[in-house]
Amino acid sequence: MASATIRGHNIWREVVPGLDSIAVQFDPARLTPSEAINLLQQQLQNPQVAAAAPFKPATIPICYDSELAPDGDYIAEKMGLSSAALKIWHASQEFTVTMLGFMPGFAYLQCPESVTAIGRLSKPRQKVAAGSIGIIGNQSCIYSFSSPGGWPIIGRTPARLFDPERPQPALLAANQIVSFRVIGRAEFDHIAQDPSA
Amino acid sequence: MTLTVIKPGLQTTIQGAPFSGHRHLGMPAAGAADCLSLILANHLVGNTPDAIALEITLDDAKFTVDQISSLALTGAASFLRLNGEDMPLHATIEAAPGDEIHIGPAKKGCRSYLALAGDIEAQSLLGGRSTYMGAALGGYHGRALQAGDIIKWKTATPSKQLVRQTPENLIPIQSDQYIIRVMVGPEFADLPIDQQECFFAEKHKVGRRSNRMGLNLTGLSLKSGDKQPMQSAPVFPGTIQCPPDGEPFLLGPDAQTTGGYPRIAQAIRADRHLIGQLRPGADMQFVKVTNDRATAIYRQKLLLLTPWLGAISLW
Repeated sequence: MASATIRGHNIWREVVPGLDSIAVQFDPARLTPSEAINLLQQQLQNPQVAAAAPFKPATIPICYDSELAPDGDYIAEKMGLSSAALKIWHASQEFTVTMLGFMPGFAYLQCPESVTAIGRLSKPRQKVAAGSIGIIGNQSCIYSFSSPGGWPIIGRTPARLFDPERPQPALLAANQIVSFRVIGRAEFDHIAQDPSA
Repeated sequence: MTLTVIKPGLQTTIQGAPFSGHRHLGMPAAGAADCLSLILANHLVGNTPDAIALEITLDDAKFTVDQISSLALTGAASFLRLNGEDMPLHATIEAAPGDEIHIGPAKKGCRSYLALAGDIEAQSLLGGRSTYMGAALGGYHGRALQAGDIIKWKTATPSKQLVRQTPENLIPIQSDQYIIRVMVGPEFADLPIDQQECFFAEKHKVGRRSNRMGLNLTGLSLKSGDKQPMQSAPVFPGTIQCPPDGEPFLLGPDAQTTGGYPRIAQAIRADRHLIGQLRPGADMQFVKVTNDRATAIYRQKLLLLTPWLGAISLW
């Protein structure tokens, strides 16, 4: 939350939260490092700018079709569930966005329930499709663009995670609650053709 | 007016100012890898310092224009030829319709910048127009140029013909040996003491797995301590991370916004433009400076450049 507040100060070019840290970028022609540190400490102590309203919970369509979920069986086996039970379990969870990073709109999610450690694939994929939803245990992620990646993939969303033409380019934001709505393959293909529909 | 790509070379993209203010959404900086060469090229044709231009990588490249055009080339290219005739780098050049603009391969260094007087047409997003290939955004359809691509541009209102030459003492020297000054990173202290010394004492070689996102550094394998894995944390262009295999990598302009490997150092802003000129095989060494010294060096560098370039900032 602190990062959204600090972002209101235009002295910072970037305010980037990590999972347990925060970084600001400034122009060293205007501020010295010690001035920047003092300023940041002040801002963290007395937020002058009203915190941005928290984002509403989001519901994201997900399709568990085996073609779109190449690691469904692997994840089910690791978790000791049947494939059908895995889908029901996953669709019933409420995740929290811990941060965006890696690529534009790529979201890291946290599951409040304790989940068996699944781990990453021993050999990362050269290409993970955009919209793929990965899970390594308590942490999940949503790939916003096609990229190399090592997270086991449980399903795929046709939603566009990042669209620079939208007033809010990223679909999700840090601290937002996310749940999934199960869709079939036909609906996936339909939405994927026109994500704005 | 148009510029047609005859031969794009290894990787030619439209690059200018970096994207700013969107790293918390995962959006990288992108922009010119060697901002100083970009700014020098823009100045020679009367453009604003961080206007978009063509960034050409290693290989030779050929273009042609359909109107009389004022242009300038800076950076690593070994030559500039108009219809086979040698022309100077770091000077305003006039090309006539149909002229073949041939940019020589880099003998030392890595990237060159071709600035055209006026305004290149490019996709404008998130307040920027540079190309970020990772998400196919910006520039020319978010991708590197291919033979046959036609780039549109509008020339500036013809004022009196500008002819400039970069002063000799401001032309960056292209080399295969670089010293980059760094500040220690948040996880530097997690390295064992002898490994900390090793990082600065030894030379690093730029590896083959190098691109605009990052450069792998070979030649020395750092043994990390037995610290717990860290939580993903913000990284920036110029951050040096050290993964468990001990081969550090130096992040470039297209660097991802967060990373989970120890951040052992951060290249100072005054030296970051050098990252754009590092090619596979180049030798480099890191020199440690304090935060305050890094700021002083940057301010001195701007003082040196402003008499020629006016008010600028580097990134």
